[in-house]
Amino acid sequence: MHIFEEIKKSTITAVWFVFLTFPIMVIRVNTIHKTIEWRWDNMIMVAVGSFALSFVWRYFMEHRQAPKPEAMGRGVPWIQNARQAIKHPVFFYSAIALLTVFAVIFPFIFSRYQVNIMTTALIYVMLGLGLNIVVGLAGLLDLGYVAFYAVGAYSYALLHLHYGLNFWICLPLGAGLAALFGIILGFPVLRLRGDYLAIVTLGFGEIIRLVLENWNEFSKGPSGIAEIPRPPIPGVELSLSESSVFLYFLVIILTLFTVFVVNRLRNSRIGRAWIALREDEIACQAMGVNKTATKLTAFALGATWAGMAGVIFAAKTTFINPASFTFLESAIILSIVVLGGMGSIVGVIASALILILLPEYLRAFSEYRMLLFGAVLVIMMVFRPQGLVSTVRQTYQFKGLKKDKEVG
Amino acid sequence: MLKVNNIQTYYGNIQALKGITLDIGEGEIITLIGANGAGKTTTLMSICGVVPPKQGEIFFRGTPIHNMTTEKIVALGICQVPEGRHIFPGLTVKENLEMGAYLRTDHHGIKTDLEYVLDLFPILAQRRHQQGGTLSGGEQQMLAISRALMAKPRLLLLDEPSLGLAPLIIQQIFEIIRKINSEQKTTIFLVEQNANLALKVAHRGYVMENGTITLADSAANLLDNEDVKKAYLGL
Repeated sequence: MHIFEEIKKSTITAVWFVFLTFPIMVIRVNTIHKTIEWRWDNMIMVAVGSFALSFVWRYFMEHRQAPKPEAMGRGVPWIQNARQAIKHPVFFYSAIALLTVFAVIFPFIFSRYQVNIMTTALIYVMLGLGLNIVVGLAGLLDLGYVAFYAVGAYSYALLHLHYGLNFWICLPLGAGLAALFGIILGFPVLRLRGDYLAIVTLGFGEIIRLVLENWNEFSKGPSGIAEIPRPPIPGVELSLSESSVFLYFLVIILTLFTVFVVNRLRNSRIGRAWIALREDEIACQAMGVNKTATKLTAFALGATWAGMAGVIFAAKTTFINPASFTFLESAIILSIVVLGGMGSIVGVIASALILILLPEYLRAFSEYRMLLFGAVLVIMMVFRPQGLVSTVRQTYQFKGLKKDKEVG
Repeated sequence: MLKVNNIQTYYGNIQALKGITLDIGEGEIITLIGANGAGKTTTLMSICGVVPPKQGEIFFRGTPIHNMTTEKIVALGICQVPEGRHIFPGLTVKENLEMGAYLRTDHHGIKTDLEYVLDLFPILAQRRHQQGGTLSGGEQQMLAISRALMAKPRLLLLDEPSLGLAPLIIQQIFEIIRKINSEQKTTIFLVEQNANLALKVAHRGYVMENGTITLADSAANLLDNEDVKKAYLGL
């Protein structure tokens, strides 16, 4: 009876999909011979495919709703064993060692193309971790994050163009300028929350892009700035491929630096204030948290990483124009944070790698790759709405607290 | 300890407080009773600096605080338990309590106080790894009070601690309020709608109507006052 019901629903879904896709999948107008082809075999494929998918989907949804044995699979022996194994230091350190070795030999065993997309992915890891401070920790929905990325990229490009400053000076300068812009954005939005904040930040992102696009004397407008030098090593002449390998290692080091700093920040006093601010503003005030300073530091520190990533981006592509800093970029960075799990560092790293590398490796599916990409996102949000890695916050144990022993 | 001198507070153009004068002595429990919209919560907000008064002065142990920001006022030792509890729903009970001690740096003192509040409310000790949002209403109110105590305030401002709680729980919370006052010597300023209970716990009371103080007397006298009986005690 139950199965019959499921089959019925899946059949309806299949019919609906056939109907929806009929014009694009079945009918093809051959403009040369002026004939219409009816591709009935496509229709059968769509019907069978959507029926099967819908059936599998329903099966999983059912399982998701069914009460889980011992929440989060703690009761299932192999999951439990795997969890313990991961926590075991031997496993943990060997995994770290393996990852390190892989990261080091990566540029020497793979092609330059692979190294380049990995570098891009790592830049997005930095961006994701930066936005994670603003959105994940402080709970301030920022839809204009790409503006700070643009500030970083343009500050390197322009400072090099006009004053001939090199990459190493511009890296901290770009980060600092982005932080300054973070504060500039922060001040007017101090009193805003939720939807209103999202709208204002979205506007801010667009303002920066439009200024860059239209102020020709300043930013050279849509034609952009070309011939931005790659990061130099003083006294060493690098070939193109050596240069991209060097950039890869540089980004790895900066990513590690970002992870270290963000992790320290999260467990610090200011980090706790951010998390508390996300939870309840009134309570925060009652506890003596300086709301203004806390919000501004969140914006400024979040923007710092975007600025740094922007400088690297400019150095990597050697050419920038406003088209690289559209709202779509902000949306991608935001999906990295949401997909990875708000506030989780490991999650953000994993989702940045997935979201940036997946479309590259899906190139084999050519025109369907964005469809698959979208499907992956939707499936993720249905089955793990809390993100890949749900946040495990550092909890502090007061040693010698007598209640700890009594209640356990 | 706290002197409020003729403060006037506005929300935009609307005047909420039309000259409030209060005096709270060291170690007292003072209650402020009144109907909805009388300005009780606004009085608290003005003391805390969340909605600063436009005119008038507030002195805390001789220091003028009417121009200070909230965090500086909290640092001086005034801590508020906001109306409607306002705990951090996503943080565990323990993290909530630690946020209470946000401005403190004396690790040893924080530890002692944590033990003290967990003794005061044993249920919180049991629930300390649970998220604040999953607690019941009464437990949340206990958590809100404990969190404020973690700041080791000299003056504790309680805004409607009985809001939406069962009578038995209210009794329990008022017991605790009395206990905090006698054991910790914390001065307590209690804003309440439940006039009967508040006046039984307090030493002195103020009655508020339409942004002004209409009566000020000892709690026992207010309980006997015919007007108060009629208007707030329902007798």
